[in-house]
Amino acid sequence: MAKTVIDDELLQQIELLQMLVKNNVAGMFGGNHKSKTYGSSCEFADYREYTPGDDITKIDWNAYARFEKLYTKLFLDERQMHTRIYIDASNSMGFGKSKKDEQALKIAAAFAYLSVCEMDKVSVYTVQNKQLNAVISGMLGKEAYVSSINALNGVTFSGDSYLADAIVPSTVGYGDGMSIIISDFLTDNDYESAIDHLTSKKRHVLCVQVLSKEELRPKARGKMHFFDSEDNNRYYRKNITREIAQAYKKAVEYATGRIRDYCAARGADYLLVGAEDPVGKMFFERLTDEGVLK
Amino acid sequence: MRLLYPLGLLGLLAIPFLIAIYIIKSKYTEQTITSTYLWTLSERFLKRKNPINRITGIISLILQIFIVILISWALAHPVFTLPGKALDYCFILDGSASMQTVEDGESRFDAGKEHISKMISSAADGSTFTLITTGNTTDMVMKEVDDKRTALRRLDAVEPAYVASNLATAAEMATRYLEENPSCRFYLITDRAVENATNVEVINVAGNVTNYALDEVTYTYGGEKNLTVKGKAFSYENDATLTVEVFVDGGNSPAASADVSVTAGAAADFSMSWTQEEFTSLTVKIKQSDNLTLDNSVTLYNKRADAKSKALIVSNQPNFIKFTLSALGISYDVVEANDNAYNYDNVRGKYGLYIFQNYTPAAMPTDGAVWFVNPDTGVDETSGFTRRSAEILPNSTRLQLNPSSKNRVEALLKNTDKAEGTYVKEYIKLGTYREFTTLVYCGGDPVVLAGNNAYGNREVVFGLDLIESSDFAMSYNGRIILYNLIEYTFPSLVDSAKLYCGEPMSVNVPANCTGVKVESPSGKEEYLSTSDAIAEYELTEVGEYTVTAVTSNGTQVAKVYSQLPVAERTLNAAESHFTVSGEISTKKRDGRYGELLYAFIILAVIVVADWAVYCYEQYQLR
Repeated sequence: MAKTVIDDELLQQIELLQMLVKNNVAGMFGGNHKSKTYGSSCEFADYREYTPGDDITKIDWNAYARFEKLYTKLFLDERQMHTRIYIDASNSMGFGKSKKDEQALKIAAAFAYLSVCEMDKVSVYTVQNKQLNAVISGMLGKEAYVSSINALNGVTFSGDSYLADAIVPSTVGYGDGMSIIISDFLTDNDYESAIDHLTSKKRHVLCVQVLSKEELRPKARGKMHFFDSEDNNRYYRKNITREIAQAYKKAVEYATGRIRDYCAARGADYLLVGAEDPVGKMFFERLTDEGVLK
Repeated sequence: MRLLYPLGLLGLLAIPFLIAIYIIKSKYTEQTITSTYLWTLSERFLKRKNPINRITGIISLILQIFIVILISWALAHPVFTLPGKALDYCFILDGSASMQTVEDGESRFDAGKEHISKMISSAADGSTFTLITTGNTTDMVMKEVDDKRTALRRLDAVEPAYVASNLATAAEMATRYLEENPSCRFYLITDRAVENATNVEVINVAGNVTNYALDEVTYTYGGEKNLTVKGKAFSYENDATLTVEVFVDGGNSPAASADVSVTAGAAADFSMSWTQEEFTSLTVKIKQSDNLTLDNSVTLYNKRADAKSKALIVSNQPNFIKFTLSALGISYDVVEANDNAYNYDNVRGKYGLYIFQNYTPAAMPTDGAVWFVNPDTGVDETSGFTRRSAEILPNSTRLQLNPSSKNRVEALLKNTDKAEGTYVKEYIKLGTYREFTTLVYCGGDPVVLAGNNAYGNREVVFGLDLIESSDFAMSYNGRIILYNLIEYTFPSLVDSAKLYCGEPMSVNVPANCTGVKVESPSGKEEYLSTSDAIAEYELTEVGEYTVTAVTSNGTQVAKVYSQLPVAERTLNAAESHFTVSGEISTKKRDGRYGELLYAFIILAVIVVADWAVYCYEQYQLR
């Protein structure tokens, strides 16, 4: 699995990219991302009347010459971001030859490396049934990345996934970075609450929907009895006709449109990725086009 | 409705197999997929109002069963009954020679066939067609044929004859058929104007035409090679001046011609004479063209031209026999009747007839007929007779003709007059080894015999002196018998070289004949029986017949010209009546409609095409 999850060449290219976080980050430690608070970065933020005890080096003498009043320049603070990556590790992601699992892990590894490069903390979680399992927790720095990222190779995909039940009770931080949910979102289970919860915590949310080619354009025709990989009690038995194929196409449009619209309404980003699509193309073209990376 | 081929329904047996296969093959393919979420979700977007969706799963089976039913039904060839829509037709087609008259590029016979063809084609299916044709014979060519194509095919095969037709026989045949099928409708197609037609609709195919004809054309080939051709010319519809030309041996330029003024309907004699070397045939033609060309020419053949007709007279008193042969146009040679003058080895193969008068040869000729006239000594056994003794009568005694009615006797004594007497004072008593026909008796003893010798050649024995001790040569019957016997021993292949079509042609079968072939003008060949001395053959075509006889001595060929019968030359002849006796019922036959086969095939093709498109969309389109 490791060989497929980590692509050295891709990681080297990703170093050139930078994550654009919509909200100012409110982390504890200094970092590369602008904070809401005033701090010591180079980016000018405002003026304030001088108060004794202030750092005199920050008095704007030009302003004093004009107004004959002492004003101190305020600068934005830059904080460290905590990127939290949630991988849907249900059976539907890892079943058969879909390669959705591999694609999800590749995307997670790439995002983790991108964050590490920006001196952000990275946590990677898997969601199985209603459990949120931390695969990598608070990883910081490239050395930690190298030593920790192989943990993704041990991720197993089984069971169902209840994103809301797993994410909402967990510690997600407040305004301290980006939350990335990687899933196929092919479920009736509630995932909207998870998005709502994360956005309410002022986190930048990115939903990556990974679908296989067979899910987007199924070839099955004739009399089929489909069993759900997550639950054998769920099945679909029909003669797959042209009409049903067309209805399926509409269902795909509906399902993808539903999460896209939901994300758009909540200020979250959304990306539909094919299981066989190259990850580099996703990062360098689509995510930059969406304004998630630069 | 009925099925022409009910066995076609056996195709329905395919349906249970089809259903069984469908059941076996209709298993759902089980497959585990990542998620059924999208498939279940797709149910929301299905158009459920269309009831056809409910049978989508079995629509292919339904279509297949439908196709099998259609094909089986089509194979069974269903025919629907249409009550009272069809008729029984009986056509009487005049096939006489006058129907070969060509008008506007089409013969009357073909026009008649076209009339019938149209009626058959337009008749309701289920109708039956009966065809009676007249011609050489009156035949019912087809009877109650209910298939139009078969009827048209048989009609197409009918050919006109060259003889006069017998419509009365056709009417009798139609009457008999009416007794069998009272609901039949009768149509007479002829070129005759029928004045009274009963129970028959007459379709007259005659138009305004002209016809010229030749008849009674003969030739005489007299002394000094003077050839005279005589005959009669006719114009049946209008007065005309006709040019009659004579062509010798099929030449291109006429040897003689004459202009003849002819009054409509009356005969006009013509005669042409000129000097002519030996010839084989004379073709007499009318130069002007008309609508019926069959009677515009006549060919006359020189009967003796191709015959082996030379005779050898071995006699010291040959004059009477010489004159007789000359009168019949037979050439001859004469040698004296002694062993020094006559040597058979020197003359072998040169003569067709050897006449020994008052002389008996040392050996019998084997290559021709033989006459013994008053033989002076006995001959060997191959001759078939012996000379017993000479009988000298005290008074002249009248000879008796054989009164037998046997064909051979009658043929050899034809034209004799029993009232006439022939007398003899001395005759020879003859004994026979072989079967001879006695023609003349004297007091119960045979005097004139005819038969075959041991070599198969014809032989005549006169047991009397023709001149000195009898008046045989001078009497009427004696001369007639001599002529007949020359004909018998020295026969031409055919009696007459000019006959009318429909008449019988008599063929004289030569001795030792192994086969007689008759070839008609159209090229048809027929072989006649050679078991009898005379074989008969009925002429059915106009034109030149060739008769070929093969004998041990070689091949003998004769030609006969068959003329159009006189009765067929009047192209607008009238027929007083044509009656089909009986009462015609108004009852009609049930029609039928059986052209569904093509509709089924088209429908099946459409269904198959639709099915293919459906399958393509079902399994291939995305």
